[in-house]
Amino acid sequence: MLQVFGIWIAALLTLAIYSFLYKDNPFYKIAEHIFVGVSAGYWAVILWFDFTWPNLFEPLIREGNFIYVMPIIVGLMMFAPLIPKINWLIRIPLTFTMGVAMATVITQRVQGDIIPQLHATFLPLSGVSPPALLSNLLIIIGVVATLVYFYFSKEHKGILGVGAKLGIWFMMVAFGASFGYTVMARISLLIGRVYFLLHNWLHVI
Amino acid sequence: MNILDRIAELDRRIIFLLIGLAVTIPLLMPIGLPVDITKPVKDVYDKVESLPKGSIVVVSVDYDPGSEAELYPATEAFLEHCFRKDLRVYMIGLWPAGPALGNLALDSIAPHYNKVYGIDYVNVGYKPGGMIMLLSLGRNVGDIVRADYAGTPIDSLPLGRAVKSASDMDLVMTLSAGDPGVLHWIIYFKARYGTPIATATTAIMAPQQYPYLSSGQLVGLLGGLKGAAEYETLVRRKARAVAGMDSQSIVHVLIVIFIIIGNIILVYQRRVR
Repeated sequence: MLQVFGIWIAALLTLAIYSFLYKDNPFYKIAEHIFVGVSAGYWAVILWFDFTWPNLFEPLIREGNFIYVMPIIVGLMMFAPLIPKINWLIRIPLTFTMGVAMATVITQRVQGDIIPQLHATFLPLSGVSPPALLSNLLIIIGVVATLVYFYFSKEHKGILGVGAKLGIWFMMVAFGASFGYTVMARISLLIGRVYFLLHNWLHVI
Repeated sequence: MNILDRIAELDRRIIFLLIGLAVTIPLLMPIGLPVDITKPVKDVYDKVESLPKGSIVVVSVDYDPGSEAELYPATEAFLEHCFRKDLRVYMIGLWPAGPALGNLALDSIAPHYNKVYGIDYVNVGYKPGGMIMLLSLGRNVGDIVRADYAGTPIDSLPLGRAVKSASDMDLVMTLSAGDPGVLHWIIYFKARYGTPIATATTAIMAPQQYPYLSSGQLVGLLGGLKGAAEYETLVRRKARAVAGMDSQSIVHVLIVIFIIIGNIILVYQRRVR
């Protein structure tokens, strides 16, 4: 019974949201406000029960692990700008967060992203089948031409200009692929909603 | 005013109506257009096929209801394949709402294969922290996972005890709708611990994954609802994604026609001016 009630609510809210396609109306406004309110409430619950409680207060209170007082103190420093006299305290949590993030991101980005991606462009141009040769050539030329386009220290003239123009073409192909996938994604979302209305709500498919 | 001028002034609601009809009619009256299998999807399927019975597959549900239409069918199809192959599923989520959606999929698939919670599959819930969490998870799972989704101590579950670090994970499948998601798994988990990563992403994210496919950092890719439909076809499970493919194809043709007409009108109006 509860499930049927939930499906009806979801179906009516879906129709209310889609009614905006005709024109703005009170049903759309109601659905929009419900969404904002429910999202805020949902996030508040998630942040407490899945984030703050298990990662901070549970080890501190239940397990008596008092080292967790430190993140509370440092976390409270984030609110220091609310009191102008101790405004400077915010520098401590900010520098700590930036330091940890930079150390982690820089090392892992190099190890897990830049080097493997660079390695993937070192492709053989001999001893491979003709289709593989064409594919490897396209990747190598595409990478070099796109990098040339983003080289701004010298005017794009002569060979540099040709490379930059080629780079634009490669990027245009990439943008086209992204646009195609974006259209597909948006239509998939519509299909998902229409499927829900026809299958779960109306039971006609 | 000739026909091109009239089309240029067309009420956009007529276009919305046409798109709506192009989606709805094929769902009501399926045509059954063929679903071709692409290599990135086949690679995911082959990887799962190659895993021996009892292997542990981490399924990371990194999306929320906003991407449910694209990624939930892939979640169900992938779980069905895992359970059919008698693989053990260790579910986790980098997005708060992910594990709840993952639970829906587990509840709908696991009973068909008589799988037992705690032994054949487990859901450890949402784990915040992104990159830092993943680095810790691979080193020592116990630092991150103390209880499952329902609050049951993880050590009381056989599968929970079996997963101690990245070396116990045979494959990670991330169903990813953004950040944190597949890039975090590749850059912070695969690079550090070497565990193979497969992914199902929203269609918008799919083009960004191709460099990682060609570099071998990803085992394979299910891109959007189309990728899910291909996987459903491979595992012989004609469900929601396959049902949506007729609509998808027809709408794409319609949009191509709109683009062509739009460009003809643009050229015409430039010449007239």
